[in-house]
Amino acid sequence: MQQKLAQLGGGAHALATQILGNADDAADAVQDAFETVLGSPESYDAGKGPLRPWFMRVVRNRCLDMLRRRKPGDDAADLLHDPAPGPEQSLRQEQRSTVIRRAISVLPAGQREIIVLRDYMDLSYAEIADVLAVAPGTVMSRLHRARLALKEALEIDGK
Amino acid sequence: MASRTKNIDQHVGELLSGYIDGELTQQERQRVDVHCEVCAECLELRDELRDMRRDVGDARLSEIGEDKWRETMSDTTVEVTRGIGWLLLIGGFLAVAGIGIYEFLIDPSIGWLEKLLVAVIYGGFVALFISVLRQRLIERKSDKYKDVEI
Repeated sequence: MQQKLAQLGGGAHALATQILGNADDAADAVQDAFETVLGSPESYDAGKGPLRPWFMRVVRNRCLDMLRRRKPGDDAADLLHDPAPGPEQSLRQEQRSTVIRRAISVLPAGQREIIVLRDYMDLSYAEIADVLAVAPGTVMSRLHRARLALKEALEIDGK
Repeated sequence: MASRTKNIDQHVGELLSGYIDGELTQQERQRVDVHCEVCAECLELRDELRDMRRDVGDARLSEIGEDKWRETMSDTTVEVTRGIGWLLLIGGFLAVAGIGIYEFLIDPSIGWLEKLLVAVIYGGFVALFISVLRQRLIERKSDKYKDVEI
């Protein structure tokens, strides 16, 4: 289970960053989620579905708890923070990543998370509905609106 | 001709997202295909959304790699195990102390004055322990250097 969770860490951190707007808080949220899961591994029932959407739901709930506790004034200032480029990444890719991150950061939190869940983590609509606790029928319309908003943000950024 | 006009009038909207995600039924896919044959606007949007989706998938949205998470996980396992260990130790100690106190109090061979004196001494120990523990917990919460490795 640890191996599988470690593989989910990157995606979970991306999701948490989009919800919390801060990479450090996001890392704390993911670590808390790890502690929760490793502390009571029996809480995951493989018969009820795959680990990935279930773990994303745990991370998302943890983020929402943190947002509730956040004091007014603590804000999502870190979204534009650019991590140091990895040696394997080309400059062009890194530039594109930066543009994408910047465009996503101007979207509302709900749109940011649905884009990360689908386009970054490749979850199915049914899995996204499960993570967000919404009716499966609403995922496509929400996602489409989020994509149109992202497209607009990218166009504004490109001007 | 009338059919082509109808197709353009009714844009397929969110179905475009479902199309590029492979989440449509056969019938819905056909509807999008037929519409995009006559509607350049939707065809362009479909291609743009597909490219954008690929770009988001390729983007680096998290700077923390799998190795780092594996490392964090090991730390977490150690902490969880340590927490369980402490819980068992304290639980066991409290159980033994409780039985000892109970046995001491019901022992008829010990006078009430002796029982009272011993209870005062142990009560003092417990009060001091709780006081130090409370202080430590408060310091631990507010100590911003607690994670600094020396």
